[in-house]
Amino acid sequence: MLSRVASSLYWLSRYVERSDGILRMLKINYASSQDTIHEFTWDPVIRISSGGDEEEISAMKNDSRAVVEYLLFDRENPNSILNIITLARENARSVQEHIAKDLWQCLNEYYHTVKDPKLLWHVQKGDPITALDILIKQVMLYYGTAESTMERGEIRSFMNIGKYLERSIQSVDILDIKFISISNNPDLLTDTSYWKHLLLSLGGYELYLKSYREGFGAENVLELVMLNHDFPRSAIYSVNNIQRYFERLKSEKNLEHYSSLSFNIGRLNSNITYSSVYSMKEEGLHNYLVKVRSELFGIGNLLNEYYFANS
Amino acid sequence: MINLNNYQNVSNTWDEMYISDDNLRTQYHKIISYLGRESISDLNKKEELAKRLFMSQGITFTVYDSGEGIEKIFPFDIIPRVITSSEWLFIEKGIKQRLRALNLFLKDVYSNQFIIKDKVIPPALIYSCPHFLREMYQLNVPHDIYIHIAGIDLIRDYDGTFYVLEDNLRTPSGVSYMLENREITKRLFPDLIPQCKVRSVTEYPSILYKNLQALSPRPVSNPTIVLLSPGMYNSAYYEHTTLARLMGVELVEGRDLVIRDQKVFMKTTTGLQQVDVIYRRVDDDYIDPLVFNPNSVLGVAGLMSAYRKGNVAIINAVGNGVADDKAVYSYVPDMIRYYLNEEPLLKNVPTFSLGNPDEKEYVFENMHKMVIKKTNESGGYGMLMGHAASEQEIEAYKKEILKDPRNFIAQPTISLSTAPCYMDGILQPRRVDLRPYALYGPEGISIVPGGLTRVALKEGSLVVNSSQGGGSKDTWVLSS
Repeated sequence: MLSRVASSLYWLSRYVERSDGILRMLKINYASSQDTIHEFTWDPVIRISSGGDEEEISAMKNDSRAVVEYLLFDRENPNSILNIITLARENARSVQEHIAKDLWQCLNEYYHTVKDPKLLWHVQKGDPITALDILIKQVMLYYGTAESTMERGEIRSFMNIGKYLERSIQSVDILDIKFISISNNPDLLTDTSYWKHLLLSLGGYELYLKSYREGFGAENVLELVMLNHDFPRSAIYSVNNIQRYFERLKSEKNLEHYSSLSFNIGRLNSNITYSSVYSMKEEGLHNYLVKVRSELFGIGNLLNEYYFANS
Repeated sequence: MINLNNYQNVSNTWDEMYISDDNLRTQYHKIISYLGRESISDLNKKEELAKRLFMSQGITFTVYDSGEGIEKIFPFDIIPRVITSSEWLFIEKGIKQRLRALNLFLKDVYSNQFIIKDKVIPPALIYSCPHFLREMYQLNVPHDIYIHIAGIDLIRDYDGTFYVLEDNLRTPSGVSYMLENREITKRLFPDLIPQCKVRSVTEYPSILYKNLQALSPRPVSNPTIVLLSPGMYNSAYYEHTTLARLMGVELVEGRDLVIRDQKVFMKTTTGLQQVDVIYRRVDDDYIDPLVFNPNSVLGVAGLMSAYRKGNVAIINAVGNGVADDKAVYSYVPDMIRYYLNEEPLLKNVPTFSLGNPDEKEYVFENMHKMVIKKTNESGGYGMLMGHAASEQEIEAYKKEILKDPRNFIAQPTISLSTAPCYMDGILQPRRVDLRPYALYGPEGISIVPGGLTRVALKEGSLVVNSSQGGGSKDTWVLSS
């Protein structure tokens, strides 16, 4: 496969996954902003998903509609859904002959949906959750279409590596930011709704309830999001999948590069597998998460160098 | 209900549907009775459906002028243009004849140049053509085929005679619209296509693929074939991806290719892979910065050396522009007589070259009756339509001509035929042309029955180019 094509497939996938994460987080946070007696702060959400500058954040952090609009449609925000989906579509456009026609049309419709003026109306004047639901449905459609139409092989491997790399980075980021907020405000540690929202935005709420009977606690949340093999957004689940799809790229022609990257992925996998909540706390949670994150970025860089010919 | 009473035939013009006021040509009977059963609001819905289908399938081009890309679709008229089987038979024969002669001309002009030595074509005309590439001299192309893909533009005068308006022998585009327009029509008018016995156009990609495969310089059963595109910002990008997908070949850009030992390779995730055949949609000028435009980033440095060495086949051949130059065009009938010893079947539009002083004088006296074109422009740019121009425009254009007369030709204004278009709830006549696509492979020339009908959507306009407000129609060739 062409290096450029592999790179586009990988990024296409990363962008779609990123949009999924942002949309789900937005939906839950918007809902909770409507159900609080305190002033709801959007600060961590904006930080996780766009990085935005301080002035901008403080200007809108208490205005829920403005935040949703910023994260969905703002052209200046590099991670707005509009910008991300434009990039995903541009990548898909450049590899149209490699992905199923259905998948291309699906992404194309996702793009046109984001640009539909009705959506903006829902956010500004109507019910923002309706807008978010419409978009989330587009992502689900995308994943269903990808699953049932994409040929099994190198193409799908690169797409899935992109998807799980993006997903694991997101989960680690969310944990990191949520736990940093605790160290600034220790009251949150015992705030049930704080953890509930985190779990809801990752889609792990129901699994948490089934797994832990003793109520919401920081350590259990950490364990679920980092180490639970059955939770599709946990770090270990994603890294296992990165490893699984990467192994399918093994070929006699580039054994050297393959082995070197395989080593890094394997090391990260072991590192997470043989961690426990206790060892993470001992090392310092923030340090631990930063280390995992930089390993994940390292894998992205090596892919870039060895497989996408962009060194 | 469609009302034909307000269909105003344009005077002195061949109409594809009407013979006279209420005398329909047979080939349109079935369509018109089908349309007669549909209400206006149903037809309007069909028009909307067509737009939506183009949009959702991403059959669009993007205009990037205001920083934000604006998505547009090429205007599509829902009423098909119909060609009878006998008309098609004639067109097919005529194009094949013309193409054989043009291909022989390219072989000749880049080797022995008999046609110049025998004084059929003046040498000055060839050597002054910017698309005559010395780099192609004595370069052997596989099977002596230069014009693998041709789009020959045909128009019809007031009496229905077909004329060749232009030969497009470099990288003719639009064939994806021939294919997509048909797909859309199938959705708009269920059952109508089989009822009318319309011949299928779907064979095009497989014929092209077979030809490309046969041109591989390496005798391998599964050669690597690529389609070289300038990239996604090119206005024809949709077509490039469609063709690559339909043929199952790799779509590459210049940056995906490298030359090693005068061979072409593509950069893959498992290292370099040799490329045998390049169907390029990049112009000659940009194809190799070492030989042509040194600033080009669209091509591949060293490609011409691999080509010259015979290590890669390039489709269409480089240097074809000398055969579709608008000043060389007037010699095509002579080429047919010279190389084939046959009388041309398809007529040329009478053409005056302004490089010739007598002809220039005649044209200058009759500017109002002429269409004047630059020899090396396409897409309807740089044209003067004499009948619609003001005195000032004409004088300004004359000055332009005098700077370099060789660069201009003039043709009497031909009143293109009209075909019915669905506009604002009624059928209205609009000017059309026809571009069939011919494929020239080692086993001969094949022309898929159909083509692209371009239509000048503005009332009274004679210019069908999409860059000048033109649209397109599905084109039906009926089986006998």
